[in-house]
Amino acid sequence: MTSNEALSPVIAEFNGVSFRYKGNTDVLKDIHFSLAPGSFHFMTGESGAGKTSLLGLLYLDHLPTKGRMRLFGQTVDSLSRSAKAMIRRQIGVVFQDYRLLEHLTAFDNVALPLRLIGEKESEIRRHVSELLTWVGLEKQMRAYPQELSGGEQQRIAIARAVIHKPSLLLADEPTGNVDDAMAKRLLHLFLELNKLGTTVVVATHNIELVRTFKFPQLHLNHGKLELLPPNSSYAEVATRLLNKGNKDA
Amino acid sequence: MRRKNEFLFTKDSTRFYFPWICWLMLFIATFICGTGILIYNSLADWQRGVSESLTVQINTYDSEGRYREDQITADIEKALSILRTTPGVIGASVLTDEQMSDLMAPWVGADVTITSLPIPKLIDVAVDSKHPPFLEQLKRDLAAHVPEATMDSHRIWLTELIKLSQHILKLIFFILGLLALTIAFTVSYTTRATLKIHESVIKLVHMMGAKDFYITNHYAWHNFKYALTGGVLGTICAVPMLWIIILFFQDASASIFQMQFSVCQWILLASLPVLIALLAFITTFKTVLSYLRRFL
Repeated sequence: MTSNEALSPVIAEFNGVSFRYKGNTDVLKDIHFSLAPGSFHFMTGESGAGKTSLLGLLYLDHLPTKGRMRLFGQTVDSLSRSAKAMIRRQIGVVFQDYRLLEHLTAFDNVALPLRLIGEKESEIRRHVSELLTWVGLEKQMRAYPQELSGGEQQRIAIARAVIHKPSLLLADEPTGNVDDAMAKRLLHLFLELNKLGTTVVVATHNIELVRTFKFPQLHLNHGKLELLPPNSSYAEVATRLLNKGNKDA
Repeated sequence: MRRKNEFLFTKDSTRFYFPWICWLMLFIATFICGTGILIYNSLADWQRGVSESLTVQINTYDSEGRYREDQITADIEKALSILRTTPGVIGASVLTDEQMSDLMAPWVGADVTITSLPIPKLIDVAVDSKHPPFLEQLKRDLAAHVPEATMDSHRIWLTELIKLSQHILKLIFFILGLLALTIAFTVSYTTRATLKIHESVIKLVHMMGAKDFYITNHYAWHNFKYALTGGVLGTICAVPMLWIIILFFQDASASIFQMQFSVCQWILLASLPVLIALLAFITTFKTVLSYLRRFL
């Protein structure tokens, strides 16, 4: 049990949560699940299954249209804007499209979360340099995002998401633009954070990673969520769902 | 490396234009406010003059145009005697020919002999502004004993002038109000444009846990700094213009206008950029807060 588990029973708890964008049909339907502190989950599913929307709910980009959602022990519906901001500070997000700020260098992009919480500049320099060295970008610290390759930008985005040691790390296709060796290296970084108590959710299409790192899967299929045991392949999932559908019929 | 608090701001045109807009607004505001203060000072001076003095004229020519050489001195003595015994009158003295010449110089020139002109003799009367004389009674007394005397309390023409000045002052306050409103609208508009440009940055820092106050504060201080810089420069540039006006009116109008600023009035002029910067701060703060609550 990590120290986080002792403090908080669950990181996230979804009870009958549905979500739809304005004027559309539900993209997430009746979701039930919880994330224990220090857990590691892959989030899998076809494109358009609702992975990004579910991650969006987890980092409070939007709120459920139905059901109850709790984060860090607090019901999100009733939270003030300030309280939501405090929750977001405990979450690190790696976006599929990186969302790096083009007017800032790699160093300043990574330093952003620390500057927001008012960390000392000397500490920021130390932590950011260490982390950029770790992800192999020590020579690109002064480079702007547009001067970096897709893979390098992705590593910057990951470094920015983990620099403040968040309690919950959400990664949307974090290994989409890197080679297998770098993908595994980045996953090891997530594992290191996980060992320190960070709860990790990695949305991915990379079956190889799911097979290599045997963690349970939050599998989304047309907005429905199913918790799968570690190492389940898409084929197995498809068969399961087909069988379930037949039984229901 | 960027400074700690600069990461929210990308380069955009509003950053360039905003201080210049403030410069122009403050130049106009200082100029108008300075002019308003000068008018106010003159107004106060005139009001003081109205309450502290009056003039009695003794006609030197009769109604048929004959010079009243024999009666003038007697009339002056009688008028002075009445005036000096009237409660509320502090003193009364006849203007000398030299004083009359100085008074008439702007109209007839300095080299004209005043005695050759058909003008009345003037008695300058100083009155107690706190306990002024009953003017109607004084007028009746003078009419009874010195029929050729007329009393001019300056009130009629000065009242009209004061009314006009008050209207000018109101107009100046109205223009200052319009300028403040224009600055508020400009700040609001440029802030909205900036927010649109920085939308992705704001969304990102919001998602990372930046509180509303943190973001609004950044933009508000940013605009405060630019408004203050532009405003100070605008005020500095307007001061020489005010000096030119002061010098011009001092030369042209002798003592009609009170062409001086008190220390407090200088402080008021100097505080204009700070007031405008505060207006920019508050407007920015409210604009950003409303944007965040509406869109995030």
